[in-house]
Amino acid sequence: MSNKYIGQSVKRVEDKRFITGEGRYTDDIVLPRMVHAYILRSPYAHARIKSIDTSEALAMKGVVAIYTGKDFENINGVPCGWQVNFKDGTTMREPKHPLLVLDKVKHAGDGVAMVVAETKEIAADAAEAINVKYEVLKAVTNPKEALAPGAPLVHDEYPDNIAFDWQIGNDKAEVDAAMDSAHHITKLDFTNNRVVPNAMEPRSYIGDYDTAYDRYTLYTSTQNPHLIRLLMCAFVLGIPEHKVRVVGPDVGGGFGSKIYHYTEEALVTWAAKQLRRPIKWTSDRSEAFLTDAHGRDHVSTAEMGFDKDGHIVGLRIKTYANLGAYLSTFASAVPTYLHGTLLQGVYTTPKIHLDMTCVFTHTTAVDAYRGAGRPEATYLLERLMDVSAHEMGIDPAELRFKNFIPPFDGVNQAGYQTQVALQYDSGNYHAVLERGLEMLGYADFKEKQAEARKNGKLLGVGFSTYIEACGIAPSAVVGSLGARAGLFESAQVRVQPTGKVNVYTGSHSHGQGHETSFAQVVADKLGIPLADVEIIHGDSDAVAFGMGTYGSRSLAVGGSAIVKSIEKVLEKGAKIAAHKLECSTDDLDFADGKWTVKGTDKSIGFGDVALTAYVPHVYPANLEPGLDFSSFYDPANFTYPFGCHIAVVEVDAETGKVTIKRFVAVDDVGNVINPMIVEGQIHGGLAQGIGQALLEGVIYDENGQLTTGTFMDYAMPRADDLPMFETDRKTTPCPHNPLGVKGAGEAGAIGSTPAVVNAVMNATWHLGVRDLEMPLTPQRVWRAMNHK
Amino acid sequence: MELTGSHILHAPVQKIWDLILNPEFLAKVTPGISRLEQESGDLYKAIAEIKIGPVHGKFEGSAELTDKVEHESFVLKVTQNSKIGNVEADIKMVMKPTENNETELSFDGVANMSGLLARTGNRVMSGVANTLTKQFFSNFEKELLNY
Amino acid sequence: MAETVNITVNGTQHSKEVEGRTLLVHFLRDTLGLTGTHVGCDTSSCGACTVHINGKAVKSCSMLAAQADGKSITTIEGMANGDELHPLQESFREKHGLQCGFCTPGMIMTAADLLNHNPNPSETDIREALEGNICRCTGYHNIVEAIKDAAEKMAVPA
Repeated sequence: MSNKYIGQSVKRVEDKRFITGEGRYTDDIVLPRMVHAYILRSPYAHARIKSIDTSEALAMKGVVAIYTGKDFENINGVPCGWQVNFKDGTTMREPKHPLLVLDKVKHAGDGVAMVVAETKEIAADAAEAINVKYEVLKAVTNPKEALAPGAPLVHDEYPDNIAFDWQIGNDKAEVDAAMDSAHHITKLDFTNNRVVPNAMEPRSYIGDYDTAYDRYTLYTSTQNPHLIRLLMCAFVLGIPEHKVRVVGPDVGGGFGSKIYHYTEEALVTWAAKQLRRPIKWTSDRSEAFLTDAHGRDHVSTAEMGFDKDGHIVGLRIKTYANLGAYLSTFASAVPTYLHGTLLQGVYTTPKIHLDMTCVFTHTTAVDAYRGAGRPEATYLLERLMDVSAHEMGIDPAELRFKNFIPPFDGVNQAGYQTQVALQYDSGNYHAVLERGLEMLGYADFKEKQAEARKNGKLLGVGFSTYIEACGIAPSAVVGSLGARAGLFESAQVRVQPTGKVNVYTGSHSHGQGHETSFAQVVADKLGIPLADVEIIHGDSDAVAFGMGTYGSRSLAVGGSAIVKSIEKVLEKGAKIAAHKLECSTDDLDFADGKWTVKGTDKSIGFGDVALTAYVPHVYPANLEPGLDFSSFYDPANFTYPFGCHIAVVEVDAETGKVTIKRFVAVDDVGNVINPMIVEGQIHGGLAQGIGQALLEGVIYDENGQLTTGTFMDYAMPRADDLPMFETDRKTTPCPHNPLGVKGAGEAGAIGSTPAVVNAVMNATWHLGVRDLEMPLTPQRVWRAMNHK
Repeated sequence: MELTGSHILHAPVQKIWDLILNPEFLAKVTPGISRLEQESGDLYKAIAEIKIGPVHGKFEGSAELTDKVEHESFVLKVTQNSKIGNVEADIKMVMKPTENNETELSFDGVANMSGLLARTGNRVMSGVANTLTKQFFSNFEKELLNY
Repeated sequence: MAETVNITVNGTQHSKEVEGRTLLVHFLRDTLGLTGTHVGCDTSSCGACTVHINGKAVKSCSMLAAQADGKSITTIEGMANGDELHPLQESFREKHGLQCGFCTPGMIMTAADLLNHNPNPSETDIREALEGNICRCTGYHNIVEAIKDAAEKMAVPA
């Protein structure tokens, strides 16, 4: 089978509508008789609601209805999708996350009332006229402070603010012994700063109810329509799933924040039936800052021990993860199974132990944000590596080479069994660092650095060699770890009588370009033109089922499901072809869109076979008509992309401002279907990772008020903050999925953050700077350089 | 948000003290105040409309004078609610006579904000507070001449 | 409160009643149904709503519809000439200057304004011109490439 499209930078088919303004995002959709919702939110982080008076608001012209917590007293809250147990085996604590708060608000922005009106403006005006009396209580926003005796309680029923504690790795005593034997120990305190995903399209939902068919439709800016339907129907509203259609139309970015089932989705769906009118709710940006799940927010102490030759002998970590006020959909999985399991990194560390405490605070919920747990793990490891190298007087690249897991392809050599549960599929960590150093010109860099320093310029280089776990995930494995859903993917390949193909995938594209890369796979596998393939996603009525797009899983899991369906199409197609060509299927070869009798020029094209399948006049006996197959693919393992990121920075000695002079990224994401799209994914991830290192960070004041709640107060990376990226790839195929692909969505955000921080430390090490809390703002860097 | 500063008012302490305890006068000089009613003793009901840059809203709440030491100091407790957020402030006001028989009025306190007010943060709010303080003292001086 | 405005959008004259407080972006989206112009923030920071008013790039959330009375507006829907895409539209596609597409209309409108007054911008010029437009997907790399590419396409042959 020749590849005409796979491996090519095919231009994206979805672009046409986006560059002409014809994209159709949820807020662009207008339904007849539609009304608009506005949510009145708590101005306090922690307060008891004494009373709510809606009478004045209800009397306003154009107001249709007002709902408060009382209306949802007997309706479930939005659930958490992953159960993690305490160390002692007891179940994690799951407070109710109500659709609207009845008694006590638990973070600034908690929903208190929903006003429905003829226009959004009227709804907002009416919300202003609602009189809520609060008894304001003390709030706590830092996870360590939340654990202190006497700290304000987020949930009165949990007297210590602990959601659960957890551990992974080797026996603690073994790790302690390894650390005791160490020749050198590097110990650092880390804060992995809380960041806001800030997809450019604010969340938007439309609930609709069709009385004639007793059927609901929810249009939602989501990354996984079917999961939303499942959670909303089965766990929240208790409405039958087959009576609900969930559509995720064009979605303007997600980065994790649109995985979760949010209260507003259930609110508009529920109210649509009450009012028998479609209801739209679209978040303002400032609301998004308060209510979209945030990312990261870990406080850790980590120690890495080395023998006298610079080999790692042990890793010991204590981390406090801030989960916010409620457990968001995947909140419990992120600091545990997506973080603790990655602490092996790319190194042969023989003893590892993570002790984790997950804590409730009076803040917005924290959940997966691009990378989800893996950036936090990588940050600890890669900062420790660079600092250890400096402390031991070993070159940081050399220290990495010394400790890398040797290359293994997962076929001829077994996968690598880590100390933290996972088994890596395939890897060649030397290769990416070697290539990175070559692109950087490391041999010359040190001279340049010395020269620059003579001229008063602070030049620094920082490394990061990361690994991550993608393609989430084998259902049986995640099920045993507490996931409350399977993590397979479905795909239907429907061949039309004319040989054109519709593919229905449970993956969801919100910028990733599935309509192109998936079509490339289908067109090549069937030997048909790309234009003959259409990828359909994001509609639960069209697509049988789906687990959606997150954790860099779309191609590895969703793409594999498509391949399985294509195999079924070709198998049946061969039977039809054999019948028409009067031979056995064993005598046939399939290539370039046609079946050929081996050793002859007798052949039949894919289109003819398709037509025969639907017009089965001359047709094999006992074969059903039609050419349409569905498959479910459940992966055998995670996939493990890895790479090497190198940042070169210049620190302004006068102001502390950090400028990124160069950024080199060598990523190995397995086989690649569309290099252009993969590179674009890497670029975007890099920007987010660099953003976390230098610019972005959430700040709550002592009362739990979010003081970084707009784009004026929260620094998003802008065009003039970033350099042109220098990227390259190595290819170590995934041995356990049919495409050999691993996933590229999160890599950039995982590797880049520590590379940047390491580079700044390298530039200022001689001035005594050892560690700094992100983001590395000019003020922080300047203070550190000047010991203020 | 911390509120500190001081200002020289061109009148003796006695007069300043009396004026500050005069709701009619206070309503005139406090920026944005549209109503100030004595509820009981030193507790006032206050309604204000503020419009400075992005901060505009109608505030309703109370102002209370406590810990009064005649002609010397008091604590001003302000609670104001609005749709753009709520403010609670405790400000200690101290009056000292100067050599020229004028009054140095200094204030020191903390204002806790919530909602949009808090989210606009120090970026805007300290500027707003400074503007309001300047207006207050400039109004105070002008109005002083009429009393 | 309502008043009538006369606004030309993408060459078509519209005479509509608007509420005094209606922002131009809402007029375009809700009254005219031109939903290619997006709303990404509420502080005029993100640039997703950028349109041209009398040929200059303006964030349409930063002015009232009433202020656009008598003016001529071009939105993303007006950039192509029939089926023939604007060079910037072509270049954004060719250079993969977009992913989710939400910021793209604003990016293209800002870039068009840049190229109108600086037909041969440097990388720095481009990055500075985009300072008011946020993209969360691309890391800007391919947006910069796309604008460079469009500038070359649009250059009058010597």
